[in-house]
Amino acid sequence: MNKIDQYLLNDDQVADFVINGYHIVQTSFPSKFHDEIYSKLNNLSSNPGDKINIAVSELDEIYDHPSLRGPLQSLLGEGYSIAEHRHCHKNHPGTRSQRWHQDNLNIPALMDGHTRSPDHIKSVLVMYYPQEVKSNMGPTALIPGSHLFRSAPDRNASQGNFRDQKIATLKEGSLLILHYDIWHAGTANTSNKIRYMVKYLFERKKESEKPTWNHSSSNKAHILDRLERDEAATVQRSLIHKRNFLRTKMWNNIAGKGSLEYKYHDKWAGSWPEPKM
Amino acid sequence: MSLKQRILYLSAESTDPKSPTLSQALHEPLNDDIVEIDPTSEGLDYKTVHEAVVDGWRIVHFPDQRSSNPNSEEEIIGFQFILEKIEDYNE
Repeated sequence: MNKIDQYLLNDDQVADFVINGYHIVQTSFPSKFHDEIYSKLNNLSSNPGDKINIAVSELDEIYDHPSLRGPLQSLLGEGYSIAEHRHCHKNHPGTRSQRWHQDNLNIPALMDGHTRSPDHIKSVLVMYYPQEVKSNMGPTALIPGSHLFRSAPDRNASQGNFRDQKIATLKEGSLLILHYDIWHAGTANTSNKIRYMVKYLFERKKESEKPTWNHSSSNKAHILDRLERDEAATVQRSLIHKRNFLRTKMWNNIAGKGSLEYKYHDKWAGSWPEPKM
Repeated sequence: MSLKQRILYLSAESTDPKSPTLSQALHEPLNDDIVEIDPTSEGLDYKTVHEAVVDGWRIVHFPDQRSSNPNSEEEIIGFQFILEKIEDYNE
């Protein structure tokens, strides 16, 4: 077993990503390593933009570690690529919250015909946090399952807090892998410490002929059941069928021969419901 | 003291005011009022729009009763009600 294989996701973890649109990786680097990165970021006199990895070369060690490469191979297939675009978000104390948004498609690194992919995993964002992120330090907020829908940012501008939003309060050194289309936002930093987040982009290069994760065909019925039943953030009933269809289509698009057969099965047989008193 | 309008946006799971709320934004009539995602939020103030009405909020905008446009690729999560309270307010 090579180093990446031991970090490949299993069927349930891939299903979690398909359902929710995110996955968290805890890196095994010592605390001192992340502190050093934080310190180097803090000493940058200007924003190096895409060259943040040259200005702070330790970042590439993080992004090249098998504990990240395993999940990336699982989600993007073998031979995935790293995009030229990188960004360091410097969130000062007093920074206000962003609005809910999907990231822009009009960036040069994605100009090769990139579109929204609600039924596939073609690209992911990987956010690295060199410091612990507490709830008052501008954590990233996201809406689980929203990657399956195209947002209308002008019309959802009046939606503030979602009941089922997730707030990414994380340990130092955490990596947050996001489906590129997930609705997310940086939140307000009301602490007295700068919160850094470095963002890299990774892209699928080819369609997978078989699952590129730790897959067992014996899990198919269980996975299909999860894709049909598991809740992410609650949405209106009229979107549930569309959501569940897109989940299965996404799984099938990344699984190749490991595709699920979307056919009728009796999911109602069994115990009668208990009477409501 | 003066009478001012407080505005509450509540999105619900359906057009039924008793269906569960999904999102919330409260706009207070203050110059320095900021409405944003609150990472320390422990949930929404009201479980349903009806619960807000019971608490004295008045619905001033009901969500569109027509079904969503099947040709639209964009989706809005929830059905939005806009409510108001007119209250004495100290700046």
